[in-house]
Order: sequence, then C-alpha cells, then structure tokens
Amino acid sequence: MRLERERAAATSGAPVALEVGELSVRLDGRRILSDVRLEVPTGSWVCVIGPNGAGKTTLVRAVAGLLPYGGSVRLWGRPSAELGRRERARAVAVVPQLPTIPEGLTVEQYVLLGRTPHLGLLAVDGPRDQEVVAQVLERLDVAWAAGRRLETLSGGELRRVVLARALAQEAPLLLLDEPTTGLDLGQQLRVLELVDRLRRADGLTVVSTMHDLTLAGRFAQRFALLSGGRLVAEGVRGEVLAPHVIAEHYGAAVRVIDDDELGWAVVPIPEPEP
Amino acid sequence: MGRPRSILVAFALAFVLAACGADEPTRTMGGEPPSPSPAADAFPVTVTGTNGSVTIDRRPERIVSLSPTATEMLFAIGAGDQVLAVDDRSNHPPEAPTTDLSGFEPNIEAIAAYEPDLVVYATEVGDLGASLESLGITVLQLDAAADLDGVYQQILALGTVTGHEGEAEALVGRMRAQVEEIVSSVDPGAGLTFYYELDDTFYSVTSDTFIGQLFTMLGLENIADAAGEANPYPQLSAEYIIEADPDLIFLADTECCGQSPETVAARPGWAGISAVRNGGVVPLDDDVASRWGPRVVDLLRRVADAVAAAEERAA
Amino acid sequence: MNARARTRAIAIGVVVLVAATVAGLLVGPARIGAGDVFRWLLALGRTPEGMTEQEATILANLRLPRVLVGGLVGASLAASGAAYQAVFRNPLADPYLLGAAAGAGLGATIAVAYGPSGVVEVTVPIAAFAGALVGVGLAYGLGRSGIGGRTATGLVLAGVAVASFLTAVQTFLQQQRSETLRQVYTWILGRLGTTGWDDVRLALPSVALAAATLWAVRRLLDVIEVGDIEAQSLGLHVGRLRLAVVVAASLATAAAVAVAGLIGFVGIIVPHTVRLLVGASYRAVLPLSVLFGASFLILVDLLARTVVAPAEIPIGVITAFVGAPFFVAVLRRSGRTA
Repeated sequence: MRLERERAAATSGAPVALEVGELSVRLDGRRILSDVRLEVPTGSWVCVIGPNGAGKTTLVRAVAGLLPYGGSVRLWGRPSAELGRRERARAVAVVPQLPTIPEGLTVEQYVLLGRTPHLGLLAVDGPRDQEVVAQVLERLDVAWAAGRRLETLSGGELRRVVLARALAQEAPLLLLDEPTTGLDLGQQLRVLELVDRLRRADGLTVVSTMHDLTLAGRFAQRFALLSGGRLVAEGVRGEVLAPHVIAEHYGAAVRVIDDDELGWAVVPIPEPEP
Repeated sequence: MGRPRSILVAFALAFVLAACGADEPTRTMGGEPPSPSPAADAFPVTVTGTNGSVTIDRRPERIVSLSPTATEMLFAIGAGDQVLAVDDRSNHPPEAPTTDLSGFEPNIEAIAAYEPDLVVYATEVGDLGASLESLGITVLQLDAAADLDGVYQQILALGTVTGHEGEAEALVGRMRAQVEEIVSSVDPGAGLTFYYELDDTFYSVTSDTFIGQLFTMLGLENIADAAGEANPYPQLSAEYIIEADPDLIFLADTECCGQSPETVAARPGWAGISAVRNGGVVPLDDDVASRWGPRVVDLLRRVADAVAAAEERAA
Repeated sequence: MNARARTRAIAIGVVVLVAATVAGLLVGPARIGAGDVFRWLLALGRTPEGMTEQEATILANLRLPRVLVGGLVGASLAASGAAYQAVFRNPLADPYLLGAAAGAGLGATIAVAYGPSGVVEVTVPIAAFAGALVGVGLAYGLGRSGIGGRTATGLVLAGVAVASFLTAVQTFLQQQRSETLRQVYTWILGRLGTTGWDDVRLALPSVALAAATLWAVRRLLDVIEVGDIEAQSLGLHVGRLRLAVVVAASLATAAAVAVAGLIGFVGIIVPHTVRLLVGASYRAVLPLSVLFGASFLILVDLLARTVVAPAEIPIGVITAFVGAPFFVAVLRRSGRTA
C-alpha cells in the first residue's frame, strides 16, 4: 500500500513517465547521439532497438543521468537535471548489460546495495530495507541463494540477482540494457516474462534496449529505432518492426510473421542462391 | 635538423665542463722546505695494506687521503707536507688541506685530477682501488683496525710509506706507553657496567667492535653484549637499558643527534639509572669515537677518567 | 553475514584487542610480574604496593605508550588499506599508494638533514606528517587533471608518479648528506622503540578522526565496488566519496608514519585476512580491520622486542617477513578468480 502511495507521489500520476527531447551526447569529441526524441507512457514497456553502435547504451546512460548530455530529460514532468543524485536513483533504476560483479559479496549483500538511494549518507540499513530485499529475492526466485557468493551463480541466476538489486531501489522507471545478454533461450524468455509480470503488478515503466527483434516485439508496446545516433523510427510494432524499416537500417532482409498459432516473430529471409 | 645538432653541442659542452670541473689542485701548505727526507734511499718499500701488498717506488710527495683516520695518522707522523688533498670529512688536524673529495662517493676523475702519487683510503667503494690503479696511481687501503695493534701497524705502515719511519715508531711507542699508563690507572676488577650510545634510537656496540674492546681493556662490562650475539651493532630498547642500570653511559651521538647528559636525564624513566644519578653520563666526540687514529688514546683517557671517578664514588 | 554475526565478530575483535594490549604490557626486558601489572592497571596509574617506582615508570612511560601507539598505528594502516582497496577496487592497494610514504620519507629526510639536530624527536614526526599530506595532495591534484580525470586508475598512476619523484628527491638529499643516512634508514624501517606519550598525543586526534570517518562510510564502500558508473546509478557521489576516503586515510596514514616510520604490509595483510574470515562487505571489514589491525601490530611489536631480546628488530622487517608470502598467496587467489 505504502509502495503505491510513494510511487504515485513520485510519479504524480503523470501519464508520461519519461520524456526525452533533443538529446545529444558527445564523447571524446565524437557525437554519439543527435537530437533524440522519445516519450514513454507510464506503465508501458518501450524497447529501443537498432544496429550495433547506434548509441543505445549511451541513451540509457544519458537518461539515467550517468553522463553529460545536451537537450532535456524529464521524469514525470520534472527535469532530471534538477534532481539530486540520490533522488534520481530513487526514480530510475538501471540494469547494466555487463554488471560489475564484486568479489566476495553474497547475493543478499549485493541486492542490499539497491537500497543505497534510500539511506542517508551515514545511515545503516534498517528493518524496512531488509524486508524489501527479502521480498525482492522471493519474487525473483533467488531467495535460496541469499547467503551464496555471487561468483558461484550461473549466468541466468546472476541476471536475476542484478535485476533484484534494481528492483530493491523501488524506482518506478526501470532501464534494462540488453537484458538477455549471455542467457540461453529459456532463460531469456523467463527473464522477460518476469519483468513483464513485475511491470504489470507494480505499475513499473520499462525501457529496454534489445537486439533480438522477435523478443522485443513480443514484450514491448512501443518501439524506437536508433541508428547512427539518431532516432529514425518510433511507434508501435507494426510501424517500427516492419520489414522495409529493418531492411533499411539493419541491412537485413526479413519477413514478419504474425500468426495466431505461432505468435509474432521476425524471421530472416535466406539469400537466394546465386 | 636543428634538434639533433643542438643535443650534440650540449653533450660536447657538458663533457668539456666536466673535464674542467675539478678544482685546480693547489698546494696549500706553507712555503717551508720539506723536512730532510730521511731514508729517501730506503725506497722502494713494500707494505701490506687491506688491499694486499703495496710497493712504493719513490717517496710520495703528492698524497691524497680519503680516510679521516689516515689523515690524522699522516699528520701525526710528520708527513703532513707530503699531503696534497684530503677528503671532506678529514677535519683533524685543522691544517689538513680539506677538499670536496668524498671517501664515501669517490669521484675517480676528481681524485686523478690532483695527479697524486699515492692515494690512501679506508673503504672500498665500488671499484675505487682498481679504477685508480688502472690510471697508474698507487693505492693503499687501510681498513678499520680491529684492535690497538692494528692501529699501531697502520701507523708504522704509513711511516714506512712516507719515509717517516722514525717518527712513526716514536709515535707508536708513545701511544703504547700512554695506553699502559691509562689502563693501569683504573681498577679492572671493579666490574662497572656501561652503555655506549651510537644514536638516539639506542643503537649500541658490543665488545666485538674496535671501540667495544677498548672498553673491555679498562675492565668495563658492556650491557649490549647480551644483545649482540649475531650483530655487533644491536639496537637496544629503552626498557632494557633502564633495567640493566649501567654505571656509566657514553654518548657517541652528541654531534649527529644532539644528545647530552641533560637530554638523557630528561628521557622518561632514565632519571633513575645509576649513571644518570651519579653524573656518569659522558659525552664523547663523535669523530674521535668513530676513528681509529692516534686520538684513540685521548678517548681512552676520557673513558678512564670517567671510570676512575665512578670507582671513587663507589668506594 | 547478517547483523548478528557481524556484531559477534566485532565483539571478538574487541576481546582480542584487549588481550593483545595486556600481552604487550606484560612483555619486556624488565621482569615485572603479571600480578603487578594487573594491580598497576587497576590502580589507574598510581604505584601499587610492592612495586618500585622504576617499574611503574617503565609501565607508564615506556610500555603503555608503546602499546597504545602500536594499536593506533596498526588500526590506521589496516583501515586505510581496506578503504583504499575499496575505492580503488584494487586488492593490492595499500595506505602508501598515493605517495604518502614517499612524502613522509622526504619530510623525515629534510628534518634530519637540514633541521636542528637536538630536537629530532620533535621535528621528524611533524615533518613526516606534513610530507605525507603533501605527497597525497600532489597525487590527488595531479590525478584529477588530465584525461584520467578523477578515476581510480588516474589517481593510482598519479600516485606512482608522485611517489617516484619524491623518492628521487629524498635519495638525492640523502646522498648530499650521507652522514644522515643511518638515522633516516632506521626511521624508514619502522620502529616503536622510542615512542612516548608525545607520539600518542600526536597520533591520536588524526587517527580517531580518520577511523571514525572510515567507519561511518563503510556501507558506501560496498557500493563503490560495483564500479563508478553503476555506483552513480545507485545514487552515490563517487568523486566525493573517493575524496573523503583519501583525506581520512591520508590523515591516518600520515599520523602513523609520523610516529612509527614506514611499516609496510599491515594495510594489506590485515584487511585481506579479515575478508577471508568474514567476507567482503565493508560493513564488517572496516570495523574489524580497525580492531584486528591494532591487535596485529601490538603483537608484531611484541615479537620485535622478544625475538632477539634484549635487542630489537625494526617492526618493518617483521611485517615484511610475514607480508611477502602473504602477497604471493593473495596474488595466486586473485589470479585464480580473475
């Protein structure tokens, strides 16, 4: 109950969770992102797709306020730049593509790190923090590993633990950078289904970058195609994950299958024999 | 192409400057004629130094000494006017021609620039001896003496080498007599204990050292002997010194570390030591205590005076 | 490790520290019986019956300050080492990483070679303290500029550069005044042989302040372990934390070096051993490093004054003996898990 109230207060019930306007990022003198515009409705799942090097990870970092950018990023109407670092961390949680796994920490200690934005500078974890961590571990089915050291977990288990840390932040906006990295097919589906369940249960807003177009198409509601640092397409699945769009920006010939029985999928068309 | 050329010029310049860098050696001795060279026909002579057998063909007139002890010996046997230059630590006697030469960091070129016909040194640093010999310079190494006999031998060797055998023998004779007289002036059976301080972190010496066995000659017991089985220069702890309660304390760190009977008495817990209570803290001259030259007799006398005073108090 | 286990571990640490302190007071060339020592402790400094003034003075003015300084120095070095290992994410980081040792050595050399000779006991600690802070300040200033920015790697590299430079200057000065070599050398090896209440007074404020600061941010040291970017995403001001840790650790290290010379390896041995026992979370590692660091050094000092009694071995020599194989073990462990 309290969680929903907090969320509502944070989000001020605004319909647009994330609004990115004219976002540009320069790193080492190179322009990585130019004039990116994006709107993410509260409670939805928006997937950012695009070929490698398009700037997807940079977009995630800019939205999370982890690097300097030009343009504007608004979280529920408030400019992100106005928020203090801890306040922003209570609003936005990031699950990185390649998380740094510190040696020697247990799962529980690692997930507890997610509570940092809720503690004062010198504060220590209280019973509430322990409670949140315990709950999150349960929901992600890693409670059995609470006392285990991170190095002893498999790839899939580790990804759930990192997700648990992000959820422990209790932030209404979740940014996932390539959440299926290093997972086998079954693990990929399970993680994405889990995120979707959490999204619907807690009213989370999810923005993810993904390279697998089929999985992207099955879970997200809206899509943004980033290519060469620019937003080249935005909209629903039919608009963005269309063969001609994919052909133009991925340089790959595909067919889209939307079948009642098979579901929805993007299928590469083999090159004709010469 | 300017840069490589200017580097070349810089190198050449540096080379020239280095070659001219050494001071022009000048004789600083007065204009008096050298004492009649007795035994000028005694040359060539052969003596044994730490570096083995050394043959001197002619009486040396341009001696460079890199050893403060050797400097003192040379002047004490009357060979001072044959000494051209001495190292930066040779501060005794005052008329010794001190230069910037270093016995610890010898600069072969600088030494050779004096065109010496004999170089006397104490410590073999790097290839000092071999390097000088390769330049045709005769070298004599006189390492730290192990005991008084070693000191006498070195004085006699220098006498032979400089053509002042007679004076050297006379000096040795005087020293022997003085030492005998000093030793007999104290009661060796009194069994007084002492602590010899090398620096203010309580480094000491055992009786296995040159200076240590001088004290033994006077019948003194060294509290550091219990600590120095392997190491002749052990570091003691304040607690041990206080516990050992020596009758005498000798300070060899008056110059380097500013210690004195007053500073010793001010150390926490030291005021109760017998030596401190009875005025038995004796400051020594750092230099004299670290050399093994003719002034060792003075050191011995100073120590003996302190012993005699302590024995009197005990009586 | 949960909170209860942690509290238990800290309690054990306190008990060990008390035991080490008592052991330190009991051991020494002056044979003072255990009963006498305890009665002296209970008498709160006044001389109890059956004890000579001499013995009481030895306890009060030699052994007690020595044990206290040993504890303060050990705690400083261990806590600083642990904190540096956290903020630089490097298991081999030690308190001297950012040029503190080189700066202190240079300060001590200058004090010995060019300062007034009679008051060396006063000038050397102060100069060493100042030198350590200057060294770290230079490294930090240098590390902040340049492409590396305020990253961990940038600071470490700057620290190496500053340390090399300051050591070179120190060596040069020592050559100029080679008669001071032995004095500086004995200081460099690290010793508690000449400690007194002055040293306690010099070290206590800095060490207390620094230890309190590091203890307070122990939780944040865990956060920084996930890397600068992720830590930022968790709401941490990475640059500020690193600065706070560097300042606190440098203060503690400077105080330790000022009173005891350069004692190496403590900053590595103790935190790593603690990690082996209680895991890697700094919520446990920091407080236990403080407690076990103090005990460790008190006990090492005990060894230093008993192994070749009544002579003393410089403490730095013993920690090096213990530390070298320890390093090898740590390297092999990180090699395996890397």
